[in-house]
Amino acid sequence: LIPALAVTAVAFFGAIAWTIVVSFTESRRFPDFTIAADRWTRNYQRLFGDPNWIISLQNVLILAIGSALAILFGFVLAAMIEREQRAEGFFRTVFLYPLAVSLIVTGLVWRWMFNPGLGIENFLHSLGWESANFNWLADRRTAMYGIILASIWHGLGFYMALMLAGLKSINTEIWSAARLDGVSFWRLYVVVIIPMMKFTFLTCAILLSLGVVKTYDIVLAMTGGGPGTSTWTPAYFVINAYSTRGNIGYASAAAVIMLLLTAAIFLPLVLLTAWRSRRSEAQVT
Amino acid sequence: MSVGADEIRAARATPRVARRRRRRVRGSTIANLVFLTMCAAFVSIPLYVVVVTSFKTMEQITLGQIFTLPTTWTLAPWWRAWAEVCAGMTCEGVRNGFFTSLKILFPSLFLSIGLSCVTGYALAHWNVRWANHFLFVLFLCAFVPFQIIMIPLVVLVASLGIYGTIWAMALVHAILAMPLLTLIFRNAYKDIPPEIINAAIMDSGSFWAIFFRVVLPMSGNIMIVVLILMITTVWNDLLVGLTFGGIGSQPMTVILANTVISQFGPAEYNVDMAAALLTAIPPLVVYFALGRFFVQGITAGAIKG
Repeated sequence: LIPALAVTAVAFFGAIAWTIVVSFTESRRFPDFTIAADRWTRNYQRLFGDPNWIISLQNVLILAIGSALAILFGFVLAAMIEREQRAEGFFRTVFLYPLAVSLIVTGLVWRWMFNPGLGIENFLHSLGWESANFNWLADRRTAMYGIILASIWHGLGFYMALMLAGLKSINTEIWSAARLDGVSFWRLYVVVIIPMMKFTFLTCAILLSLGVVKTYDIVLAMTGGGPGTSTWTPAYFVINAYSTRGNIGYASAAAVIMLLLTAAIFLPLVLLTAWRSRRSEAQVT
Repeated sequence: MSVGADEIRAARATPRVARRRRRRVRGSTIANLVFLTMCAAFVSIPLYVVVVTSFKTMEQITLGQIFTLPTTWTLAPWWRAWAEVCAGMTCEGVRNGFFTSLKILFPSLFLSIGLSCVTGYALAHWNVRWANHFLFVLFLCAFVPFQIIMIPLVVLVASLGIYGTIWAMALVHAILAMPLLTLIFRNAYKDIPPEIINAAIMDSGSFWAIFFRVVLPMSGNIMIVVLILMITTVWNDLLVGLTFGGIGSQPMTVILANTVISQFGPAEYNVDMAAALLTAIPPLVVYFALGRFFVQGITAGAIKG
């Protein structure tokens, strides 16, 4: 038990504290622990004056909204698979396999699909759809959508699996009760099933947003942050500030903001689980 | 539509045997299956394209027919990707990365599973003070983005003198995985009835004796789940390899990224795709071989974490 405690203390708490402290210093290539009393927020001021950082934040928002489609589709697919029960194993296997593929490979594969001369675009052109534009990654405005598509591809099966687990845990009596009451198919899903699964949805949403905040691999593989800096994400920004610019203080400041973002997403989950366990205790007594 | 749905729901409510007997396929069922198949196609197309591309010759690729089968199947791209393609300065293909990834995999599996399995066992069955608080803290740690603790870890690892080696990466993987794995193990061991443990204590079993004789033999299932989880995360990781790997000790994903992204000369898409496939194959094999456990693993990682 002691090693685990030590790891937690040093590698997590120590490291977070270290990052926070360094973010207030003027460290460049090597850490420097003196905090200039009058200029300790300098890194943060610079950060929010940096257009690339603003782009990163915007991108994370776009990515979150776009990837939310994965949850939606995941639910639809799970509902269909669950209703059908035919070939459930087959579909589950097919939808889930992208998850076993690393994000870097995912990115490369989709980069190849988006290749203007030789990829999908060319295929559509050869079918006679001459105006089809599938060269998303080369355009600042659409590059993010390309990344969203690839991350949906990667994550779809995961959310489907979670939703399927959620659907399976719903009592089968609900279905027959609904049938006796003559509730229509759509109303059953909208009014009964979705509210029953709100915890599953919330879990998915939180996991999704945590994943989005961390997005790095796929950006590197698909666009390398480009064109220009249009597909930077905070994670990409942190690593870039650290390894390319060699500015530890600046990178730490960006990392601290990432931590705050994570905490903002995460806190509701913590409160929710606390509330849930208290409620279940109350039910027992 | 609504009638069909009702029928299906009726079928669901009655046991499966009754369902089997009714073999008439309904319109909504067909619509469902068609939609599912279309989605399955969307998911499968990239894999198909990659496999096909990796067997094509460059002449055929430049014709631009991405979906057609290779006219002449060739293994040359695979060989080039494995042994000849250039990543930055060195031109030895991705094979070094493959072996490095393997070398990283085993120590990190050993370290992380050893550590978290004992900790999970201790937390589940021995009266540890502040156990619940510690669990809560672990729960928080499991969600800290790696970038936040990355730079201090670099400093820490460098001060240990192992920066840029395989051990650095194994250690970092073990640290990162520790909170989540401990939670998973703890939840799994909680299901072992306390009577068994108590009986073992009566038999004058010590902490370690009970662990090795009673708990470990009972944890085969959860072990497989955790193994799969760890193998896929360690193998697929890019960031740790990128920040902690030195020259000559970069894992496969990093080599792949270097190969494809910083390419000199004309792009060889077939070689790129073969390299990508080589990197993706090990986790895919694990997935298709042990799919059931894989699903368990990721849902355990998600919900219980």
